[in-house]
Amino acid sequence: MVNAYLVSLAATALVMAVLAMSAQLLVGLAGQPPLGQAAYLVVGAYTAATLATLTSLGPVQLLAASAVGAVAAAVTGLLAVRVRGTTFLMVTFGVGELVHAAAGQWAPGGSEGTHTPPVIALPGLAPMVRPGWVYLYVLACTLIIGAAVTVLTRTRFALLLRGIAAHEPRVQATGHHTSGLLLAAYTAAGAIAGAAGALLVAVTRYVSPADAAMGISAIALAAALIGSGSMIGACAAAILLVAVRDWAGGLLSGHGSTLLGLSFLALAYLPRHRLAGLLRLRDRGRT
Amino acid sequence: MGLSGLVNPYTITALDGVAYGLLLFVIAAGLTLIFGVAGVFSMAHGTLYLAGAYLAWHLGDGGWAGLGLALAAAVLIGAVGGAGLAAAVRPLTERPLDQVLATLGVAYIAADQFSTVFGAEPRSVDPPRALAGSVSLGGYQYPVYRLGFVAVAALIVVLLIWLVERSRTGAIVRAVVADPDMAAATGLRTRTTRAAVLVGGGILAVTAGVLGAPVIGPAPGVDTTILVYSLIVCVVGGLGSIRGALLAALGVGQILTLGVALVPGAAAFVLAAAMLIALTIRHRPSLAGRPE
Repeated sequence: MVNAYLVSLAATALVMAVLAMSAQLLVGLAGQPPLGQAAYLVVGAYTAATLATLTSLGPVQLLAASAVGAVAAAVTGLLAVRVRGTTFLMVTFGVGELVHAAAGQWAPGGSEGTHTPPVIALPGLAPMVRPGWVYLYVLACTLIIGAAVTVLTRTRFALLLRGIAAHEPRVQATGHHTSGLLLAAYTAAGAIAGAAGALLVAVTRYVSPADAAMGISAIALAAALIGSGSMIGACAAAILLVAVRDWAGGLLSGHGSTLLGLSFLALAYLPRHRLAGLLRLRDRGRT
Repeated sequence: MGLSGLVNPYTITALDGVAYGLLLFVIAAGLTLIFGVAGVFSMAHGTLYLAGAYLAWHLGDGGWAGLGLALAAAVLIGAVGGAGLAAAVRPLTERPLDQVLATLGVAYIAADQFSTVFGAEPRSVDPPRALAGSVSLGGYQYPVYRLGFVAVAALIVVLLIWLVERSRTGAIVRAVVADPDMAAATGLRTRTTRAAVLVGGGILAVTAGVLGAPVIGPAPGVDTTILVYSLIVCVVGGLGSIRGALLAALGVGQILTLGVALVPGAAAFVLAAAMLIALTIRHRPSLAGRPE
């Protein structure tokens, strides 16, 4: 039952979970839906792939990818933070697709993509070739990123972001520069997405502009929405959506995108706000 | 000098850009009005173009009859598709994110069905035989169909601007864009207007697909490409503005043809910069809180 394909699928699902956390930071905390997070994933992935010619050390690639992802998000975020709501989604979608197009033009390997050698988890260890070891490495990194994100969601900064989602003029009235706060959140989300890109390179040992496709961003946003504000929920939903697209789609002779489309439709029409409300009531009853 | 001095490879490319820009305008006009009137960002708008392009490929027989048949089918499919989208987003009013998800779901399912039915390879669509040749423009050969396309698209542009800015129907549409609540209070049927704009936008997009198929042929992924470029046209031109969309579409058309010929690879950066400038001018921080 558990074969190499399933293990690498599970690792891909974890990468999507990290990307979903990056989307959740924006839509769950600040209330601004991004539809271009795959752009920063691909920026991080190409950073890791370029760095792979110098070092195969995974954590170094991860940090570099994260940093470059943050820089890319800080620059392109200047566009996104000028608008809110649906227009935010439209602008991030446009930016994401422009990065997708630019990657085909400028990135090493062009539209064919580029291959990378297997990464090394820690100095002194052997390169990770077997999917099981790669999975464990990705799992460890995901947990570390998840812990960092959890710390971030408990800060005063996160409270201000929640304030922007609830009622932006009041946050401004208390003297905060909300566009600056949003840009900071967008940069942080870009850093997380860039880290996801480095993990993607560790899993697939390959990166191509197709990794910046709208479908990846859409899965991240949909997972964040299913998670309705919770980071764990977003991760679980991302794993579920990857399972629907790749595993169930594989069983149905490659109609994964139809299944994904049906899940988006179900997500739109099911009363998920009420379902999330039930969960919150249960939590409140417990405390 | 005269005409032949004006005709060089760059003006020929610029003419291509005009064709591309007018094509984008016909698609983006629907998208911008749908967003302005109904508040819906329809992710399935590029799908409608792709449906029209496949329609032209499927029904085109190299004669006028095939084109006429495809255009008739395009109006029908556009109307049905638009009405379907209107029905789909109707229960989701006031939930713009769910509207995006629902139309995205439709786009995904349609894209999968297209590649199942029509195959994954790009299809080339030949124009009607009467327009298939090329004409000499100051020593350069230029496809007749593209000139015809520019003429027809220019006609559609004039009709559309007249419809939106001069007719009673257009006045209602603009009233709903400007202030839906006030429009409803004065007795305008905003719900009917919303559905009608989705139907109209659908017809425009599918028709653009049939007419534009020899220019941008049907292939998997064309739906996203068209959606992105018409989205950029909408953002640069100002959401809900038809004249803004026309100017933006012509500009984007030039960037994607002449710009690519002059500075290869810079198109994405120029388009992003255009969006940044448009957003900076339009959404100044003085409009605190809700910049929309």
